Parts: sequence; C-alpha cells; structure tokens
Amino acid sequence: MTTLSHKPASARPIPNPERSLITRLNMGSGTVVGILFAVITYYLLRHHFGSPWRVNHGMDMTNTHFVNVTILCTMFAWSFGFLVGIGALIGPFRWLIGKDLTAEEQLYLAGDGQGIKRYFKYCTDHKVVGIQYLVGVMAMLGVGGTMAMMIRTNLATPGSHFIAPIIYNSLVGLHGITMIIAMIIVSTGPFGNYIMPIMIGAADMAFPRLNALSWWVLFTAIPVLCSAWFLGGIPTGWTAYAPLSDQAGPGMNAFLATIIIFAVSTAVAGMNITTTVVAMRAKGMKWNRVPIFVVGATISVALAIPAFPTFMVAMIQTGLDRTISTGFYDANVGGSGWLYANLFWIMGHPEVYVILIPGVAALMEIAPVFVRKPLFSYGAAIAGFAGIAGLSVLVWAHHMYMSGWMPSLNGPFMITTEFISVPTGLLFLVLVGTLWRGKPWMKMPMLSVYAFIWDFLIGGITGIYLSDVPADNYLHGSMFVTAHFHYTLMGAALTGAIGALAFWFPKMTGRMLNDRASYISFWLIQIGFNVLFLGMFMAGAAGQPRRVADYAQAFAHANLISTIGAYSVGLGMIVLLWAIIHSWRSGIIAPMNPWGSKTLEWTVPYPVPLVNFDEPPVVTSDPYNYGRSAK
Amino acid sequence: MATHTEFHVHHDSPEKVGRRERLGVRLLIVADGSFLFAIIFSWFYLRNLNVNNAWLPKGVKTFSTASSWWVIVPFIIVFIAHRVSMRNRSLRVPAMALSTVLLIIGAWYQWHQVCNMPFVAQDANGRPFYNGAYASNWIIFAGTNMFHYIITAFITLGLFLRGLRGNLLDPVLEEWRQRVAGSWFTWVMIGGILSAFTTSFK
Repeated sequence: MTTLSHKPASARPIPNPERSLITRLNMGSGTVVGILFAVITYYLLRHHFGSPWRVNHGMDMTNTHFVNVTILCTMFAWSFGFLVGIGALIGPFRWLIGKDLTAEEQLYLAGDGQGIKRYFKYCTDHKVVGIQYLVGVMAMLGVGGTMAMMIRTNLATPGSHFIAPIIYNSLVGLHGITMIIAMIIVSTGPFGNYIMPIMIGAADMAFPRLNALSWWVLFTAIPVLCSAWFLGGIPTGWTAYAPLSDQAGPGMNAFLATIIIFAVSTAVAGMNITTTVVAMRAKGMKWNRVPIFVVGATISVALAIPAFPTFMVAMIQTGLDRTISTGFYDANVGGSGWLYANLFWIMGHPEVYVILIPGVAALMEIAPVFVRKPLFSYGAAIAGFAGIAGLSVLVWAHHMYMSGWMPSLNGPFMITTEFISVPTGLLFLVLVGTLWRGKPWMKMPMLSVYAFIWDFLIGGITGIYLSDVPADNYLHGSMFVTAHFHYTLMGAALTGAIGALAFWFPKMTGRMLNDRASYISFWLIQIGFNVLFLGMFMAGAAGQPRRVADYAQAFAHANLISTIGAYSVGLGMIVLLWAIIHSWRSGIIAPMNPWGSKTLEWTVPYPVPLVNFDEPPVVTSDPYNYGRSAK
Repeated sequence: MATHTEFHVHHDSPEKVGRRERLGVRLLIVADGSFLFAIIFSWFYLRNLNVNNAWLPKGVKTFSTASSWWVIVPFIIVFIAHRVSMRNRSLRVPAMALSTVLLIIGAWYQWHQVCNMPFVAQDANGRPFYNGAYASNWIIFAGTNMFHYIITAFITLGLFLRGLRGNLLDPVLEEWRQRVAGSWFTWVMIGGILSAFTTSFK
C-alpha cells in the first residue's frame, strides 16, 4: 500500500553534504571513471573476440566489423563512465530508491560558495552551465577554425602538397562536423542557459540537473570526435553519405558515436529550454512581452527536438551496417543510400534554421537597444520565425535534386524552398524597420547587426539560386554551395553570436569587452570573410568542385584571394579571442546596465545571485518601449 | 521592460513543478516519437522500394505477426495497471510491482527473439549477415522496444520502491509524478502498437 508522509522536510535529519559522495565528484573523477569503463569494455571485448587489430581467423565476425564493435562500445562506455564518475546519475538513482536529494545537497549541486571549482563539477546553476557552454563553444570554434586555415592553406595554390589528399578529405569532414555542432550550440548554449532564464524572470531552468546533463553529455562527445584523427579520420565529409560511411575506416565510428551522443544532449537541452520558457516566465510576461531572443531560441530548440532523432536513426543504422552486417544502405541486401539521404536531410535543413534563428533573434534583441527605438513589428518577427520553422520541415529534398530521388518531387520542393524566402524576408523587414531613421550607437553589438544584414542578404539570395532546379543542376557540388552556406551559417549565425557575446559580455563576466580590440577583430573578420567567400563564389560559379584537394589552374586567382581572406578571418578571430580573455581578466568593470536595455537580465547585479532575483519580478510592459511611455 | 517586485520566497508550488515535469516528459516523447517515425519511415520506404527484390529474399523466414504483438503486450498491461492504480491508491504498489515484473519478462522475450532471429544467414566464409532489408529493419524495432522496456522498467521500479518507502518529501509532487509517468506509459503503449503494426507488414 502506498503511504505518503506529510512530515515536513525540515523535520527529517538532513545528511551533511560535506561528507557525501557528491562533494568528491568532479571532472577529474569523471575522466578517471570514463577511461576505466572504456578500458574495461575494450579488454572484455578483446578477451571475447581476440585482438581487433589483427586479422582474427575463424571468428564469427569479419575483422572490420569487430574493430567497429570494439571502438563504438569503447566510446559509449567512456561517455557513460564519465557521467557516472561526475555524478550525473546520482539524482536518478536516488529517485529510484526513494531517497531524494535533500535541499542541502541540491544547494551543493548548484555550486553554492564553491568558486571556480563549480565549473569543473556537475553544477546545476544555469549560469555555470552557460559559461561551460561558452568556453566549450570557443574551444570547438578554435579547433574547427584551425582546420579551416589548413584547408585554405592547401587550396592557396594549385598542386599544393601541404596536406595529402586522403587527410584533406578527413580534414574537410572534421571541420564540417566540428563547426556544425559548435554552431548549433553557439547561441542557445551560452546565452540560452546563462541569460535566457534571467530574461524571463525565472530563478533557474526548469530542470537544473538535466541542464548540467546536457552540457556534460556533450562534453563526452568532444574527445570521441577528436579520436577520429587517431582512427584514420572521416573521409566522407560531414554529411557522411551512405554507402561511403558504411565502407569508411574506423574513424567513422567516432563520427557516429559523436552524433548519437550529441542528439541525446540536444533533446535534453531542447526540452529544458522549451519547458523553462513555457512554464517559468515571470508574472505579467505574457507571450507578447517575451523578449525576441527568448522566442527565437525557443523556436530553434523546439525545432531541434523532432529534427535530430532522424539523424540519430541514420547514424544507428550506419552503425548497425558497420558492426553486425545489417543492410540498410547496402543494395545487395535490399538497402538504399536514398534512405540515408532522406533521413539526413529531414534533419539537415531544419538544422540550418536551428543554427540561424537564435543568432538573428539575438541581433533583433540588440537593434532596439542601440537605436533607442521599439522593435519594428514584433508580430512580423514571430511570424518570420514560425514561418521558417514550419516550412523548414518541407524543403529537405532540395539537397537531393541531383541524386535522382523522386524527380517528380523536384518542382514541389523547389516551390516550398523558394517560399521560405517570404518569412526570411520578414526578418529583414523587422531589422531594417528597426534601424530606419534611428540614430545608432555604433558599438560592437550594433556593428554585428549591420554585418548580418549584408552577409545574410548574400547568403539568402544565393540560396534562391540553389533552390532552383535548373541552376542547381550546374551549381550543385561546387564551391558556390560552400560559399552560400558559409554566408548563411558563419556570416549570419556566427555574426549574430559574436554580437550577442559583445552585448551580454558585461552581464556574464562583470566586465566590458575591450572596444578597440573588438573593433579591430570585427573589421578583420568581416572584410576577410567577404573576400574569402566572394572569391569562393567566383571559383564555384566557374565550376570548381568542392571537397577536392586540388584544382585546375583556371581557379588559381579566386582561390588565392579566398585564402588571403581566410587568413584575415583567422587573424580577426585571434584578436577577438585575445579581447575576450583580456577583458574577462582585467577589463573595465561593467555597470549593471551599460547599454540602457529594458530587459530583465539588466536589473540584476554581477555576480548574478544564485536564484537570480531577490524577489520574483512582475512584468508590466513590453521590453522594447524605447521612446514611448510604458503600456 | 517595466517591473515591480512582490515579496515572497522563491519556492515553486508542487503543482507548478508537476505541470513543468509533465511538459518536459511530453517534449521528450516528441523526440522519441520522431525517432519512431524515422524507423517506421525506413521500414515502409525500403519495403516499397524492394531494391533487388531483397526486402525479403526467397526462402528467408520471418517472425510471425503474432510475435510482433506479443512482445508489446506488457506495455498495454502496464498502461492499464497504471490507470487502475490512479483510481485506487491502495493498488499503486502492487500495480507497479506487477508492471516491473511484466516489463522484465517482456524484455526477456524481446531478447529471446533477438537471440533466435530466423533471418540471419551465413556467407561463404561462415560469417553471419542479415538477409534482406526486412531483417535489418526488424532489429532496429527490437532495439527500440528494448530501450522502451529499460526506461519503463526503471520508472515502474522507482514508483514501486518509492511507494514501499512511503516517507516521500512532497505528496502532491509525488502524485504529479504518478501522472507524469502515465504520459510515458501511454506513449510506450502507442509506440509499441505502432511498432507491432509496422512489423506486421512483411
């Protein structure tokens, strides 16, 4: 019989967390246990099957399959072991046995009074998780950017032997997937976690433990992805098309494991952010008073929740093909590469908007503050985001025009894709309308707004060419496509994220971002970026194929121009990194609201208290009523 | 954004927390539903494509349609047991105990099927392979069922043990968690039926 105690929590003895296991767990213990789990798994499999690195005569499985099984199991064991070692499973285990975490233990998990150590623990404070995401994203962008520099160096002149062709392929693939993952979390990770709960007047995220889980699960994927280098790389590019991915070497397993782990992290983070916004807004914050960044971030993660599992399925199917000889993508046993292409792009195109929308929304948050005008047509901005999100699930096959899959559907997919430029146009309208006749305060965040409008205009218009079946027939697989999606993802989404960082840097670090260094980095990045990718448009339009390590002499000038632009971007990123580190350590102390913004995050001091607000705020007006009386 | 403040402590009511948890679980169900959609899509796509007539090559045996349905029966019973126990509190602990046992049996039966797949063939070198796209797709449905069994058994075991202990922190929140668990039980039943329905098409 179920009996529920009505005894108040305070009447029961509370264990002292100083002596509990929770206090001893951190990133170090996670790493040790993760490695231990991985090593034990490896040796158990080796004991069972024999060494995977030698041809195993007389075994049930081929050597290749056994290598794949061993590597995948070892990687998942690492990930699981790390989560055990850092204490991620204590909460669920304690729930299972009916001994819930006490208030004192929860306070400890929130990092109360633990200083810098909390950044290396399973800390449930959303602000700590936000900083963890920020540092993680910067590291990933650094690694991905270094790979980009190597690619461009190889392409500086035709016939370059800077990188061997097979390594070039892997480099392109690893650059792609590293940057895609980094870009997916670049805005919603740091700002969605640190800033967004404060913006809506919440004390924390809806599920603090799951919030920490989403970061640490993602963290375990980073060494897994890096291990691809030591396992022969991923020669398929980031799209990992089947059956190439079925046939690729052991490094492909790192790719599969990374995506599967990342999909879990994304689902958990998406659920958490969505629930927080829907259920934890401050009193008085009706839907038409929700800051536009919050709306954009929520639509983005809500779109990711159904989108990423299809990629996960594609990866699991590839993994099964590689490990136990199923035939999802093997035509000999009834499989088809088209299945992969569909599953991949059903995720792949919404994913572009998962990346893009938070960046645009951040800039919409910035623009009214720096022109001291209300956001032009809040409703149009929402309609734009919602329209993009809705249409994004109906356009995936425009990536497959040339694959031969369902030619009769090319027309309908061309129409839906071109139609998506209507809600995208609304976003431009909102931004331009907000800037119209304003007197902008030209600080770094505002510069990003202007850069976005230019970059995304080019990215958007070139996208219309690619959505057109006859044009795509010529441009598909060329450098034109590479330039287009870099204008969209880097020119728009990364520019938005950099603007957001400059905007919220004072709230996250308590210091102002160095003006001079950030201006220098801005111009180096933006000029370099346009030189780089306008050069690439030239090469692509002239017919240079992408994902090829060498090219004909005819493309030499365009590639040299691109490489010069790339070095400028690289230099700008180094200056930006220096500005961030220097300002974080010894920048000018920031006032509580340096930009005079009207959203809630600027009403709390730095460091932001553990529960954000001493008393829950009650919202009585919209956040963009600059230059008019509150209503 | 104009604000004013009210004086009360930061402590959300169990009702609020419960609603929040229900929404969270429903969003996770959306993700799981998308996963299930993708594998159902794969099944019907490859079945209709029938590349090289290798969806189900000649002579390859399959599981019976009945076995596809038998394997999801525990999900249906768990759903019913939970609904009954929500109406009659005294039945909660036994209902969850029964559910846990049934789920373990169901998981064992699913594992038994995996260990006795009739469609695994051997090539000329004696190495096993999955003969036909039907076989490939079947294994992923079995894996999905197994995942649902593990998660659902974790929940029912937790509710059973917590019910046994009885000295739980907040009875209202505990009641909400029973309801939230019901959302998951409903979903795994629907997901199981969809899986069984799909795998009935050979």
